[in-house]
Amino acid sequence: MGEKKDVLQGTLALMILKTLEALGPLHGYGIARRIEQTSGDLLSLNYGTLYPALLKLEQEGFIASEWGVSDNNRKAKFYKLTRAGHRQLEKETRDWHETTAILARFLKTEERS
Amino acid sequence: MSTPFNKLRAAVLRFSNIFRKRKLDRELSDELESHLQLHIEDNLRAGMSLSAARRNAVLKLGGVQRTTEAVRDSHSVAWLESFLRDLRFGIRQLRKRPAFVLAAILSFALGIGANATIFSIVSSFVLRPAPVGNPNSLLSLHISEGPTCCNHFSGPLFEDVRDTVQSFSGVAGYYELVPASIGGQGEPERVWGQLTSTNYFDVAQLGMTLGRGFTRDEDHRPVIVIGNRIWRRRFNSAPNVIGKTLLLSGRPYTIVGVTPPAFHGLDLILDTQFWVPLGNIDQLADQIAPKPSDRAAREYHWLAAIARLKPGFTREQAAAELNILAANSAAAHPQFEKNLGFKIYSANSLPPRDRAAIVLFLTALSVVALLVLCIACANVTNLFLSHAAARQAEMGVRISLGASKFRLLRQILTESMILSLSGGVLAVLLSFWATKGLSSFRPPVPVPLDLTVSLDWRVLVYAFTLSIFAGLLFGFAPAWTASHANMSTALKGEELLARAGRFFTLRNTLVVAQVAMSVILLCATGLFLRSLKNASTTDIGFRTTGTLTMSVDPRVHGYTPERIVQFLDQLRERTAALPGSTGTAYTDIAPLSMGGRSDGFSRVGRPASGSVPIVDLYMVSPGYFDLLGIPRVSGRDFSNETPASPRVAIVNERFVETLFGKDNPIGQQVNGAGVIYEIIGVVKNTKSRTVGEETRPVLFRALSQTITSDPSGMGYSILVGYAGDPSALSLLVRDQIHSLDPSLAIYNAQTMSDHLREALFLPRLAGILFGMFGFLGLLLAAIGLYGVLSYSVSRRTREIGIHLALGAPADRVRRLVVRQGMTLVAIAMFIGVPAALAATKISTSFLYGVQPHDLPTFIAVPLFLMAVALIACYLPARRASKVDPMVALRYE
Repeated sequence: MGEKKDVLQGTLALMILKTLEALGPLHGYGIARRIEQTSGDLLSLNYGTLYPALLKLEQEGFIASEWGVSDNNRKAKFYKLTRAGHRQLEKETRDWHETTAILARFLKTEERS
Repeated sequence: MSTPFNKLRAAVLRFSNIFRKRKLDRELSDELESHLQLHIEDNLRAGMSLSAARRNAVLKLGGVQRTTEAVRDSHSVAWLESFLRDLRFGIRQLRKRPAFVLAAILSFALGIGANATIFSIVSSFVLRPAPVGNPNSLLSLHISEGPTCCNHFSGPLFEDVRDTVQSFSGVAGYYELVPASIGGQGEPERVWGQLTSTNYFDVAQLGMTLGRGFTRDEDHRPVIVIGNRIWRRRFNSAPNVIGKTLLLSGRPYTIVGVTPPAFHGLDLILDTQFWVPLGNIDQLADQIAPKPSDRAAREYHWLAAIARLKPGFTREQAAAELNILAANSAAAHPQFEKNLGFKIYSANSLPPRDRAAIVLFLTALSVVALLVLCIACANVTNLFLSHAAARQAEMGVRISLGASKFRLLRQILTESMILSLSGGVLAVLLSFWATKGLSSFRPPVPVPLDLTVSLDWRVLVYAFTLSIFAGLLFGFAPAWTASHANMSTALKGEELLARAGRFFTLRNTLVVAQVAMSVILLCATGLFLRSLKNASTTDIGFRTTGTLTMSVDPRVHGYTPERIVQFLDQLRERTAALPGSTGTAYTDIAPLSMGGRSDGFSRVGRPASGSVPIVDLYMVSPGYFDLLGIPRVSGRDFSNETPASPRVAIVNERFVETLFGKDNPIGQQVNGAGVIYEIIGVVKNTKSRTVGEETRPVLFRALSQTITSDPSGMGYSILVGYAGDPSALSLLVRDQIHSLDPSLAIYNAQTMSDHLREALFLPRLAGILFGMFGFLGLLLAAIGLYGVLSYSVSRRTREIGIHLALGAPADRVRRLVVRQGMTLVAIAMFIGVPAALAATKISTSFLYGVQPHDLPTFIAVPLFLMAVALIACYLPARRASKVDPMVALRYE
């Protein structure tokens, strides 16, 4: 697998974790909708890419899943943050801020020269 | 990013998910289904029609199938899963062609099995470390005088090394081989052991099965460490054996330790089973070991030595120290140690004297075995090419469905690996059986040897590696061609490999290589088989039928030489009266025992000019020559010589030629190691040590006369002539021996013809091994040749049909096919015969009476192979020419 996909999946994973922290247990469709809404329709999300990311997060132990019933009485698989997931979210948020800060500074100097 | 721990957790989950694939798949489809339903409901609420809502939901998801695939890939380990899929598919494919699979697996099993068997010999004798603690730092020390290597130490020299060399943490000495008999309960038994310095087991760092080694103050005490075999056999593996008494050569010894099963002394093949402190030497090795005064002299070399390197010291440091010691000794004792040098080897390594010969022999065998494997590989490659070619259509379909070349390559390599690994498993079973057979060979030497060959982990690793390599080797070419199949031709079922107009195809090259290798192999085999035949029809000069032998060693039971003579005389009287006995004689060592005594001899009054001829020495009793049917040329037999009467000797014709030329030797005197003998008789030549030797000069001494001054350390062989059943007589002779002395151990009981069979050990071993390999090679080559030719004919059925339809006579078609096949074979002969000539040159030293450029072999083998090839070409050609043109044209 190439580098590019990994990065993409990385940001997607962060979005998933953040969504689950904000809204509590949620099914895949709900997460997708929420990400789309929060991004203000700037992000065109292919819902299908969400599921491999969810699976990876679950395998790594950051989220857990359970079958449950949705608001309108549909059977659905609900995901929630684990404790490791909370820690991971904090860490990744911090990392993300650092990365963007560095990149921002870098781009600024580039412009000047 | 996630931590390594989380990654590991994910990896473990993925591996375990392989086994719950179905459940995961079902759960995923449920989840996606619920996702779509939720989305559709939302869309409906937003006012879409049902069909638009559904389409939008599916579109937004990016396709159910694609999502499923994407998730599945991370469900479990993708490559492992697809490997398992390849495996299942491969097995399914192979099950369709049981004959091909059987031929391929058998070819591999034979090829790899041959290699594993030879490698198990290498592993047992070259690679296996001594069963001691830290085998790497345990060394065996030898001395060399000038260019000749490897003698034992003298007592004082051993002490010099022990006391001065700082690189060693310990140096132990031992007297290498002492025969003894175990008495007490049960049949008396002959065993061999060693007399060791008390630190021997400490230096060896041997982990005892029971008890301990010797303590420093036990040098002169009657204590003994017994081998594991004695412990099992005579004590039934009793755990309380320590402290018990063992009757060894009539003396009680207290058992202090039991060695582990793998330990039989530190010599590679010498099989010793007990150890006693060196201080007991005058009791246990009376008459054979040097006298106390000699043991302290610098000119007597009798003590073997091992040394343990100090931690942190290297062999080079030890060698440097020993060199200084050698220089000092040479200066201090110029009369004995002028050219002294030391040699260091790993303990338990190949005997230094025979190292080169053994290595050469094993190399030759390995090369031959690899040749067999190459032939097997070429064979299977050919079969597999046909198999792969027949699957061109399948490959074409898979390529057109988007399978990558790598994917096809992998699929075919998986199949070839299945075959080669199955062959490998079968090969291990085969070589398990073969090594058992090898271990049962026993050379006809009077000392105990452990020649057990067994499979160990090294052999298993070797066989496994060979299987993998063989699988890759034979699988790669077919895999490559198949995966590069041109889609359009492949779909039409045309074969890439059989393209018309090409002569140097991969397949033809393989046939040539295979036949050429078979020529080499079969020529080598032919030579060895002829050598075996020569060896077994060699005139050894004495009669082997109608004589049985058994040995006793009364000396180890405390007999004086006078009492031994008395005992032998009594036994002769008693056996003469036995039914079926035709006469009794004695000798110190039976002929063809691969070794024995020898000395330089010269004529008295005529000092030798140049080198002194080395003469084999035997002690025999009167009647020996008559019993073995050795004709007397002149003079008389021994009669009633005593130690007091003048020394007399009987010599063979070779001896006469060497020392007397054309002079009459009767009544002349010869001098051997300071003893003067008068020659009283001349007998015909006999083979002395081995069947294959050049005839050696031999001098027979009177047993009754020599036994006092020069007793045999190997005991005495009783030869009894028989008419009728040897086994019944053998039992009677045993009874007579035990009625004279029930404590005597009897050993080496067999008929002379059995002894001769053992004497043919080496030519027989080589003959059997090479014979087997040669037969394998022939079989494989014949199968391969036939398979390839008949396949290529069957691929050309259509072309042949056209020939026939256009009116070509059937016999011309036959000739065409045969000619093409035989051209390949002729090319192979052209390459193979000179290669075989070169290859067999190195095997000269193992051949008896056969030149490496043996004409019959080099004519017979190519002719024979040509005949096989002709049959292999003719049968398919005949089939082809009988094809109905109409059927042929519609073929495919």
